[in-house]
Amino acid sequence: MNNSVKIVIVEPSILLRSGMISILQQLNMIQMDVSDITDIDQLKSAFGRQNTDILIINPSVLGTVSLPQIKKDANNSALKCIALQHSLLDHTVLKTYDEVISIYDSAEQICEKLTRMIIKPVLDKRHETLTLREKEIIICIIKGMTNKQIAEKLYLSTHTVISHRRNIAAKLQIHSTAGLTIYAIVNKLVELGEIGDLPGAIGE
Amino acid sequence: MTKFRFGKYRESDSMSRLLCEKYPTLLVLSRFGIALGFGEKSIGEVCKDTGVDTDTFLTIINLLLDENQDAKIAGASFSLESLITYLQNSHNYFLDYRLPGIRTKLVDALNPTQKELNRAVLHYFDEYVLQVHKHMQYEEKNVFPYVYALLRGEKRENYNIGIFSKKHDQIETKLTEFKHILIKYYPAKSSNEINSVLFDIFNCEKDLASHNAIEDKLFVPAIMELENKIGGNHE
Repeated sequence: MNNSVKIVIVEPSILLRSGMISILQQLNMIQMDVSDITDIDQLKSAFGRQNTDILIINPSVLGTVSLPQIKKDANNSALKCIALQHSLLDHTVLKTYDEVISIYDSAEQICEKLTRMIIKPVLDKRHETLTLREKEIIICIIKGMTNKQIAEKLYLSTHTVISHRRNIAAKLQIHSTAGLTIYAIVNKLVELGEIGDLPGAIGE
Repeated sequence: MTKFRFGKYRESDSMSRLLCEKYPTLLVLSRFGIALGFGEKSIGEVCKDTGVDTDTFLTIINLLLDENQDAKIAGASFSLESLITYLQNSHNYFLDYRLPGIRTKLVDALNPTQKELNRAVLHYFDEYVLQVHKHMQYEEKNVFPYVYALLRGEKRENYNIGIFSKKHDQIETKLTEFKHILIKYYPAKSSNEINSVLFDIFNCEKDLASHNAIEDKLFVPAIMELENKIGGNHE
């Protein structure tokens, strides 16, 4: 399910926003998860909901926020930013973007830009297998260890443990301990009986 | 050949037409306690006969059918009392009927050779149900009485609807996660039983999302408005 490209559109005008969404829908070339917001303040919560690959943004909504700052907020340095241009803009401004889509572009042009610049590289570098370290951490989590305990056991900083956990959640799309337990049993990360304190089903 | 259908359902539309065209609205009917068998009657007539506030009914139907709709743009009008009754019935539906039903089916679909795994799967589900219980109970014990007090014109100093923050997302995502886990990892014994559970979960996920949309888009804004009105009177 994770092969889709995650796109966020930031554009205050409903006409332009709906238009952009409608074009993306027509392209019908690749699976995309598209969400749209009207201003920059909503960006952080949009990033929180999904790992974003592509940001299509009206340059005039940026205000004092910079693109590097946005990439940092998205926790994704590979985030591609596309300017949605509908008025005359300074060339130096547009140059900071990875691509520019103008409101006068045809559907073919938009399609070509998206494919060439963004979608191919994004898909090429997707991988979802866990590293050995991540597997170790899962085992610790389902044993009920805290981040601090895990850090001590594996000689890591708590910060590193947290960042591993974030990666695990992103790769597996599993955010709860109960879910990781199921994952670990199915993938035989734990021996039978190793999770001694696994609570039984409620009411059994 | 694109065909668009715009516009909302109105009081004068036939109730049976609404249900045949948009079958998810069947759920709304049962939550308002409207039984089937109304023949050719219009939406308005059926509502009047069963003592349901027509505006509230239509507002919920139309919001349900167009999730992107902004309630304000739609000019929603409804009664808060009716809405609370609806939400209350909706909670009962999930807690007493929908989720237990899914659990029963899930137990039947489990592979008997996977004892350890089954325990973990049921544990996940039960933990989830518990979370839904807590959330809905909170609304019934704290939010609904607070709204009734507001409707009587009483404003409590130490509470406002902003405190009832949006914990909805968690409830939806946890069920989605469960679905993913079953699909990706569960070695089911045969596909029919597990498919049936999955269909139920997909549907339930949607139901929960629209239930939550009604709370976020209709209920909470209406209460905020009420709070402002009452707050204004005090000053």
